[in-house]
Amino acid sequence: MNDQLPLDPWKDILATGVDPERLIENLAAYRDILAEIAKLRSLDLTDVIPAVIFEPTAPYRAGGKT
Amino acid sequence: MSEPLWMQPIERLAPAIRAGALSPVTLTEACLKRIRQVDDRLRSFIHVAADIALAAARTAECELAAGRWRGPLHGIPIGVKDNYLTHDMPTTAGTTAPGIAFPLRDSAAAARLRAAGAILIGKTRSHEFAWGNVTPPVRNPWNLKRVPSGSSGGSAAAVAGGLCAAALGSDTGGSIRMPASACNLVGLKPTFGRVSRDGVVPHSWSLDHVGPLARTVADVAHMLDVLAGYDPSDPACQDRPVPKHVKALGTSIRGLRVGVCRNHFFERNQVEVERAVEAAISALAAAGATVHEFTIPLLEYGLGAIFAIELASSTAYHDVSLRAGRVAHFQPDVRSLVELGRFVTGPDYLKAEQYRRALMDAFERAFANVDVIVGPTTPITAWNAGEWTVDVGGREESVLAASWRFTYPYNLTGLPAISIPCGFDQDDMPIGLQIAARPFDEVTVLRVAHAYERVHDWKDRAPRL
Repeated sequence: MNDQLPLDPWKDILATGVDPERLIENLAAYRDILAEIAKLRSLDLTDVIPAVIFEPTAPYRAGGKT
Repeated sequence: MSEPLWMQPIERLAPAIRAGALSPVTLTEACLKRIRQVDDRLRSFIHVAADIALAAARTAECELAAGRWRGPLHGIPIGVKDNYLTHDMPTTAGTTAPGIAFPLRDSAAAARLRAAGAILIGKTRSHEFAWGNVTPPVRNPWNLKRVPSGSSGGSAAAVAGGLCAAALGSDTGGSIRMPASACNLVGLKPTFGRVSRDGVVPHSWSLDHVGPLARTVADVAHMLDVLAGYDPSDPACQDRPVPKHVKALGTSIRGLRVGVCRNHFFERNQVEVERAVEAAISALAAAGATVHEFTIPLLEYGLGAIFAIELASSTAYHDVSLRAGRVAHFQPDVRSLVELGRFVTGPDYLKAEQYRRALMDAFERAFANVDVIVGPTTPITAWNAGEWTVDVGGREESVLAASWRFTYPYNLTGLPAISIPCGFDQDDMPIGLQIAARPFDEVTVLRVAHAYERVHDWKDRAPRL
């Protein structure tokens, strides 16, 4: 990444890694999904702790893999 | 036993094997013959391990002759979805992309089945990396023009076609229950953490579940009795007591509270699907259950949540393949989905996980008043191969959007859910009834499923191939 050039949001930030034509196809395919994610974004879930469990003892469980 | 061997459920085969009236070798040979006869049309197996299966069957026969009966799966031919690792059969996870290989070792589920004396007869086709709901090139035994659904379509077609007695499937958004519904089978997604996923090719770590497909509720209970249990190799697997699930079968459901969630699950279905499911609810009431209706408005937001989690997770798993350009060799639909995951932002992903907790809480509140929740497994019956839209309740809808609408809420919440046969549409395509319960209450799921099954004959019907 050349730190003198402005960042490219597709290539540098989202690392889409596809050519411009393919990117346009993918964005079109994503439109309906994005509409559903936009509905999700509209919810106020400020006080809800996400269902993601950080479990620091996991590597120490018998047979566990790190 | 007047029916052909390959048609019979485990609940009838197992006692015959135990009594010495049926040889595991004879049964395995019957399944292998059936594969040779019909699988050129079904395409359900990607790998058939005839020699290995026959050797295992001969071993089982010797053990039985010596009086060592390992349990109801001893000598039973079982198919393994091609995303489960096996030490003696190759695993492809449905992909032919170059540079992707999987080790020859047994997944926890395969190891448990072997220890129970099951005969692993081959690997059944999966939609590539368990993405998708079609499972090409597999066809539905009930109509060879139709898809078996997916992604465990090979497992469903193989069991429904009589090529094996049961099969393993995996379910990230409905991939056990949808093909079970499409093929007139029983398919169980156990609670997240009930069955180890060690050695199963990941699709979406927090949504993936593994479980069985079979012809009857009892068969699925026998499979779960073997598969369930703690395994520290799967970080999500929980160390909890495992009940004997088959003992739940045959008990009355009188007084049991059956919940019907009237929003989401009943808003848009094919007419015959809705009719069959309403009749099933009436049948449960006639058996003594009380029916309670309610709504969970939060379900309206679920599709965005499962897409955010599933796309982001799958893309993370395939990150190396993406950067190496290998995804260009994936099937077009799977390639697109894997590439689309880059568009899901971190906040979107975590908001989906917040939503997930809120949805779990909403279901917990519903379960304060009911013991199970029932509804359709899918709003549609199996569609023609190559069709991408179907009429659902008078509206044209994509099969991708419609097919998993009622199954994915139970992947987001991790609750146990089963699909059982509950009728056929006018084209003789099967319809599924979904039954879900509280976490780790597979016993109640199976009890209700069995209570319905034993007073209907859907399971006794077989496709003409």
